[in-house]
Amino acid sequence: MLELQDIHGGYGKITILNGVSFKIPKGTITTVIGPNGAGKSTVFKAIFGLLNIDKGRILLDGKDVTRHTPRQMIDHGVTYVPQGRNVVPQLSVYHNLELGGVTARDQAKVRERIEKVMDKFPILREFRNRKAIELSGGQQKQLEVARSLLLDPKLILIDEPSIGLSPKLVQEVFATLQRLRDQGVTILMVEQNAKSALAISDYGLVLELGQTRMHDKAEKLLADPRVGQLFLGGHIEEAPSA
Amino acid sequence: MSQFLQVLLSGLATGSIYALVAIGFTLVWQAAQTVNFAQGEFVMVPAFFVLVGTNILGFPLALSLGLALLLAIALLGAVFKKLVVDPILPSGGISLIIATMALGILLRESVKEFYGAEAQPFPAMFPTNPINVFGAVVSMQDMLNLLISLAVVVVLTLFLNRTRTGRSMQAAAQNPAVAEILGVNVKRMVMYAFLINAALAALASFLITPVYLAKFSNGETLGLVAFIAAIVGGFNQIRGALVGGLLIGVLDNLVATYVTAEYRAALPLILLIFIILVRPQGIMGTSEGRAV
Repeated sequence: MLELQDIHGGYGKITILNGVSFKIPKGTITTVIGPNGAGKSTVFKAIFGLLNIDKGRILLDGKDVTRHTPRQMIDHGVTYVPQGRNVVPQLSVYHNLELGGVTARDQAKVRERIEKVMDKFPILREFRNRKAIELSGGQQKQLEVARSLLLDPKLILIDEPSIGLSPKLVQEVFATLQRLRDQGVTILMVEQNAKSALAISDYGLVLELGQTRMHDKAEKLLADPRVGQLFLGGHIEEAPSA
Repeated sequence: MSQFLQVLLSGLATGSIYALVAIGFTLVWQAAQTVNFAQGEFVMVPAFFVLVGTNILGFPLALSLGLALLLAIALLGAVFKKLVVDPILPSGGISLIIATMALGILLRESVKEFYGAEAQPFPAMFPTNPINVFGAVVSMQDMLNLLISLAVVVVLTLFLNRTRTGRSMQAAAQNPAVAEILGVNVKRMVMYAFLINAALAALASFLITPVYLAKFSNGETLGLVAFIAAIVGGFNQIRGALVGGLLIGVLDNLVATYVTAEYRAALPLILLIFIILVRPQGIMGTSEGRAV
């Protein structure tokens, strides 16, 4: 579905990614974990056309989409939910949702989708006329996730969905992501809350110093002591050669 | 009572034109996070475009107005953004503010050199004969100025709030990073803000110059009063700019009629100091940030 081949890139002259490679299959959740500064969010920006890519290729369903703009990536069926608060504060919940479909030609269809999406997030229907800034942090995150669904995406890049949310809301967001996966949507997620995220994921990916260090089934990563070591502040030792 | 109504309506008519210019300040602030201190000159210049059309090229007034509007949108909107804002904005808002001050001086002095320092008569677009409104005698020109200005503000507000492009402009102003990842063409939305600002300035020019005559220095007072109106109303809200403009227009007339006309130029400044002391975000402004 999505394949990164030896991606190198960064901001201006500062290189962050030093050879990121992985493949993720369709209809799965893959969680990207790694220490601070590993390049997790930067990978998302590279995929979504927000970063200079110096070397490497990004393939989406076999098609080369390297250096495609955010608008082109949206047209390819990719949406991106960055970390932090990403609503348009003075617009209503409904109009924030509508912006999720701003690139669509058929706005009547977008309005239909908004109704369907609000069925999945009843709180957004209740507050549809409220300004986005008046929602709680958790409600704003739900709004962002809901907005990312407006164009019926095939791949969602979601960065740190649990930041600022209560444990209950985190479970709700994770449950939503699982439902989407079951409907065939592919999800690539960055999450500091590694254990909880890997628990709902099919695959896990460990980045360190801008490189792919591990890529395996989520349950294997959860059981791997090297992953625990990484999150205790160490770094992954190269596996001894047989 | 009829005198009060007369003063009120006349103040609203002038204030509504201030509001058009103040809204332009607000739009440019939203789009580029800077203050265009050449805004007053942006109002002064289109009147001279019209005079060139009617007096030098011999075009009829309607054609001259149309061409002046288009020229203003092109030069004071698109060219201003491309040649002044885009290259200087990366150096910071302060640099751009200084650049717009310089541009204001350039425009002022250029018009003075080209057309002279004397005030020029400007053809009225509407009849100036007095009409009776609930006992108050006001000029038809004032009433039409008021109605047209308010209609433009209503249309602009509807455009920003009810259309996809308008809401995309709001998204680009309030959270450009999010707007970009949603597929909004942020650069285009910013350009629209500059084009609308130029159109508003040109319209204000066409409405107010028949009253004040066309003079190279017209922009100084108008730019200052509109800037104050935008701050008084709330710099991050279009409705704030409207309220600020109307308030200054009405207070100016009321004070000049019932108190003294001697210090009327000081009134907007006194109002500005008062508002900054008691409500720094402006009458309608919000403290949470940018919003068109």
